[in-house]
Amino acid sequence: MTDLRLQIHGGHEAEARLREVLAREGFRIVEPPKPETGAHSVLVVEPDGHPQGPHAPLGRGETARKIEELERTVLELRNLDVAKSQFLTNVSHELRTPLTAIVTYGEILRDGMLGEITPRQREAIESMIGSCRQLLAMIEEILTYARTNAQAISIQPSSFPVEEVVRTVFDMNASLVERKGLEFETALTPGLPRVYADRDKVAHVLGNLIGNAIDFTPDGGRVRVVARRAAHDPRWIEVGVEDTGIGIDAAHHDLIFQEFAQVDASRARIHHGTGLGLAIARQFVRLHGGRIWVESELGEGSRFYFTLPSVEVNEEASARSAVAEGAAA
Amino acid sequence: MTETARHLILVVEDSDAIRMAFTILLEESGYDVAAAPNGAEAVRLAAERAPDLVLLDLGLPDIPGVEVARRIKSDPETRSIPVVALTGRDDDSDREALRAAGCAAYLVKPVDTQALIRSLPGYIEGAAAVAES
Repeated sequence: MTDLRLQIHGGHEAEARLREVLAREGFRIVEPPKPETGAHSVLVVEPDGHPQGPHAPLGRGETARKIEELERTVLELRNLDVAKSQFLTNVSHELRTPLTAIVTYGEILRDGMLGEITPRQREAIESMIGSCRQLLAMIEEILTYARTNAQAISIQPSSFPVEEVVRTVFDMNASLVERKGLEFETALTPGLPRVYADRDKVAHVLGNLIGNAIDFTPDGGRVRVVARRAAHDPRWIEVGVEDTGIGIDAAHHDLIFQEFAQVDASRARIHHGTGLGLAIARQFVRLHGGRIWVESELGEGSRFYFTLPSVEVNEEASARSAVAEGAAA
Repeated sequence: MTETARHLILVVEDSDAIRMAFTILLEESGYDVAAAPNGAEAVRLAAERAPDLVLLDLGLPDIPGVEVARRIKSDPETRSIPVVALTGRDDDSDREALRAAGCAAYLVKPVDTQALIRSLPGYIEGAAAVAES
């Protein structure tokens, strides 16, 4: 009897439900769940000769039937997951339209197009616009997560200097940083090779990390963006965001990259986020074949890093495939 | 700017609230505005009114926005009109298709209205420069 290898794309719920079905139907999981790119987890199962409960041991025909049934369950779960993502996409879109109207009218009022306003009215309107934009950003995050989870996102890589994206994202956050009175600096190794990556996705990841750093660093602290060759392999570029903020307990370093996770309620209160930012960042980095991690202790600030392939990795890969093609010819 | 020199902008947007907001914004900024709630009306008005610019929302009820852009840019009567697309964030396929269709720019909603107003003359003059050359 060969092993049955199941790739699960439905998240924790799907995995839990599948495990339940497997146990009930007399299968044994011989390998612990091991997350792989794309799938939520992979289970390797084999029929258990001695199932517990009311089920008798399985005969040969019986086994085939059970496997068929399992395959149907997996398919059903996958369909459910697609439906869930579609629902999220639709709802997000419907939420965005009225919010866009509010922001636009707010800006029209703020800019005095419909008559002079007092400084206090202006303050109130700006706060309204800011709240709306915050809400929109969260909706975008949910939407991005839904699309990433449904494997609807692919990367469109091109070669560009990573400094360009760092500068863009840095500038986008400059006013926010200024308002909080944070020191904001970059430390980019000069002469880095260009990266071969999806520019928008890299900007998204970096934006998330910088946003977090700003949120979790008290006034007067420092946020620094670094870019250098990765220590483990100099053909990869390592980009990092280092802050002097509240830090993260080592026990939570894995948790924070999981969807919907925030370390504790007080953190969530400060952060006001969806808890999807780092999960999305991890997905995006993985799509590039890179990795993302954190180095931190409570009270010691946090240092997030991720790696991107430089053009050198890409050149080597194309050289290899050219050689392979040459050999095949 | 004299009355006769006012530029006409065609706003294509299915949400009444947003269409109204853009109409106010543009009129208060010194533009004349024509508005269309769907793609068919947009294509018709582009030909009939010959606007100086089209602001095109991509999520329309009848014809996909990308297709509206393609029709405007492929009709000899309207192909010189610059089209600026407005849409929700990061739909990769749309962006590629819009570039191919000849859109002048691709803006993410909600756009920063001040930045939009600042960039409008550039879109309009850019098209004029291309038409003259």
